[in-house]
Amino acid sequence: MLVLMISYTYTFGQHEEHHHEDEGHLHGVVYDMGPNSEKIPLPGANVYWAGTTIGTATGKDGTFHLDRHEHGNLPLVVSFVGFKNDTVMVSEDQKSIEIELNMNNTLKEVVIANKAPGGFISRIDPIQTFHITSAELEKAACCNLSESFQTNASVDVSYSDAVSGAKQIRLLGLAGKYSQIQMENIPNLRGLANTYGLGYVPGPWMESIQVSKGTASVKNGYESITGQVNVEYKKPDDSEKLYINGYVNNDARVEGNFNTAIKLNDKWSTMLFGHVENLSRKIDHNGDDFIDNPLVKQYHVFNRWKYDDHKNVHAQFGFKVLQEDRQGGQVNYIDSELRVPDNGYGIGIRTDRFEAFSKAAYIFDGRPGTNIAFINSFIHHFQKSYFGLNNYDARENNYYGNLMFQTYLGNTNHQLTSGISYVMDNYEEYLNDSAFSRKESVPGVFSEYTFTLPDKMTLLLGLRADFHNIYGTFFTPRLHFKYNLTEKTIFRTSAGKGYRTPNVIAENTYILATSRNIRILDDPEMEEAWNYGLNLTQYFDVYGKELALNVDYYRTDFVNQMIIDRDFSAREVLIYNLDGKSFSNSYQVEAQYELIERLDVTAAFRYNDVRMTIDENIRRQPFVNRYKGLVTLSYATNLNKWQFDFTSQFNGDSRIPSTNDNPVEYQMKTSSPAYTILNAQITRNFKKWEIYLGGENLTNYRQEDPIIASDDPFGKYFDSSMIWGPVSGIKIYAGFRFAIN
Amino acid sequence: MKHYKMILILAVFISSSVFSQEKERKTAEITIMTSAVCGMCKDRIEHDMAFEKGVKDVNLDLKTKEVSIVYQTKKTDPDKLREAITEIGYDADDLEADAKAYEKLPACCKKDAPPH
Repeated sequence: MLVLMISYTYTFGQHEEHHHEDEGHLHGVVYDMGPNSEKIPLPGANVYWAGTTIGTATGKDGTFHLDRHEHGNLPLVVSFVGFKNDTVMVSEDQKSIEIELNMNNTLKEVVIANKAPGGFISRIDPIQTFHITSAELEKAACCNLSESFQTNASVDVSYSDAVSGAKQIRLLGLAGKYSQIQMENIPNLRGLANTYGLGYVPGPWMESIQVSKGTASVKNGYESITGQVNVEYKKPDDSEKLYINGYVNNDARVEGNFNTAIKLNDKWSTMLFGHVENLSRKIDHNGDDFIDNPLVKQYHVFNRWKYDDHKNVHAQFGFKVLQEDRQGGQVNYIDSELRVPDNGYGIGIRTDRFEAFSKAAYIFDGRPGTNIAFINSFIHHFQKSYFGLNNYDARENNYYGNLMFQTYLGNTNHQLTSGISYVMDNYEEYLNDSAFSRKESVPGVFSEYTFTLPDKMTLLLGLRADFHNIYGTFFTPRLHFKYNLTEKTIFRTSAGKGYRTPNVIAENTYILATSRNIRILDDPEMEEAWNYGLNLTQYFDVYGKELALNVDYYRTDFVNQMIIDRDFSAREVLIYNLDGKSFSNSYQVEAQYELIERLDVTAAFRYNDVRMTIDENIRRQPFVNRYKGLVTLSYATNLNKWQFDFTSQFNGDSRIPSTNDNPVEYQMKTSSPAYTILNAQITRNFKKWEIYLGGENLTNYRQEDPIIASDDPFGKYFDSSMIWGPVSGIKIYAGFRFAIN
Repeated sequence: MKHYKMILILAVFISSSVFSQEKERKTAEITIMTSAVCGMCKDRIEHDMAFEKGVKDVNLDLKTKEVSIVYQTKKTDPDKLREAITEIGYDADDLEADAKAYEKLPACCKKDAPPH
């Protein structure tokens, strides 16, 4: 229920009490089960017919009235933030119904058919949000958050260099740092974690992911510009008693995960997660004497606790400890020996990270949709690293606090959330002989108003003011509007501003793995951008099944941006504040359909037009694919014993910064070719076991010669940052999952 | 070498989908009344019964609480199927749910939970 305050809750509001006795209506009550099995009416729960936008919300006394659906007998879905959705069958002659939602309910998402769709676009969220469920996550069994978007058309994942193995996401064609990555609605993977952070979230720990495009709610800060990625971990009160997962691939990468949930009593529950991964074999498929994927050792433990008195108080807290070692570079490099050119080129990154969080919420009796919530998060991150002869060490301490109050004005159609927040960031960085440090202290206030006309429209208006100790006071206005044009047509639009402080070295460590001379020309200013979006979702009836078609357009306009200029010279990288224009246009169309029984097909296409002023000219941003296509096929046999998944990604060409001032043998073309990536996986389900076998990059497509001057890593032409395609080729993997519920 | 792996994968893909559609054997269908009360009960019963010997298809209708099962007559019989349902924690026609299994069900799946 804590989630209540921090997610975009809104209710359909209270319906006027119409007591129609005719067959066209259904009325009912939604209860929460109290500690002594007493029924507590649940106000503000959403009730809607599955597959439609016809819905309402329960009133103060938990009651609702709902129009019958003209298309016959659909399941009724009941959802309430903090509870799992429940789906209920209602017979045609039934006029009233009692529904009980339970916190222990372990239903997976909306269960409509035999096979719940793995990913879907929310029908009720005013912000365009794509849900990736655990079922979808299992379709790409490897390994962590960076691999969780293979079947998602909106998010791109690419390597940032050819040596560190770091992967970056892109949303709307813009780097992942412009989107806000959150863990259960708390900002995370920012600052120093920006570069390697996606590898800190093991796939099997996750329950679901929500990807929202465009400007976000003001509740979680000013940082989100292109969108939000929110990860929900498994919860202590409704997860497997025991879950074990093992994974191995043909490069001898081994991973193990486990989690166990224990209900201590009616109110307390706890959960322990563990993750180990190890890749200790040096593999060089492309013969450039550099290891394709760095050697990695990671240990990660997470313990979380939940308290729920089933009345007014909900609380959670947890701790996470992570340790990671990465070793890359030339095959013959020996880490334990002296770091001199004779030993070869090596890369080493050691990370220690500690996180703690708490969330507490108090729900007021007798007033629906009214609660107060307090969220705290502390992160310590330490990185010790070297890239050839470059040394880079960094330390970050981050505190995030957010106190929110939510209530309604007049009636529950007018919802108001207001709060105060405080963010502290303390950075210390050491690059070779230079030391940098930065302390940020940012108190903020915010307010968000939601106006809802049940079944028709939602308007979200948010404004926040932040008082930055370095950059002064600034305002963040944001707007979202959703309108149901018809029962099966949803229109959304959004506009808003976002800001962030650049961490020049930490988020661009790939430039350390080059011989380029780094020149920081300006004092970094805050990055600042506007984002506007349009989105139309239409559901069609095609041969008795639903075809979901989604079209969207997002525009991002930078007011200021930190430009990383690799165009000026192949020998240098210049870093300066934007002087001129920088923008991104992203157009996407996506369709989902169950082609034949139990065969789900998704097809999507996105066109990216991302340009910025680099070296005084407007140029396409380097290494951003001009377009991306995606086709996914997912088939389950009757009884779900076998599951087959197939994904094909079509990546358009991208611009490569000029290397014309290099000798001919160290030059690259100025444009990359378009290429296709195929992934496939087979899963066999047993009562308690699942085993899977899969392959990534099945056509073994690789960027040839990803490293410039790999034969002379200490010379002046060496550059491992010019990456437009896959560095490693085909990967075959196998694994198992074992669960006791 | 790379291509062999690819072909191997495809071969496994194709052959396994072929094998999954085994030869038609003698089947019968039975409808059993259960004590399922929610979508989660439906999931549990359908998932667990799918892995009972001889079961070819399972479908639980929450409106009527009836589960219809298609099974191979050579491998199982109605009594065994009813017993299997009781072992998941639900009543099956006249048979009472296995007490231990019933205890382990989440609160919302128990019989005395209000109809929902």
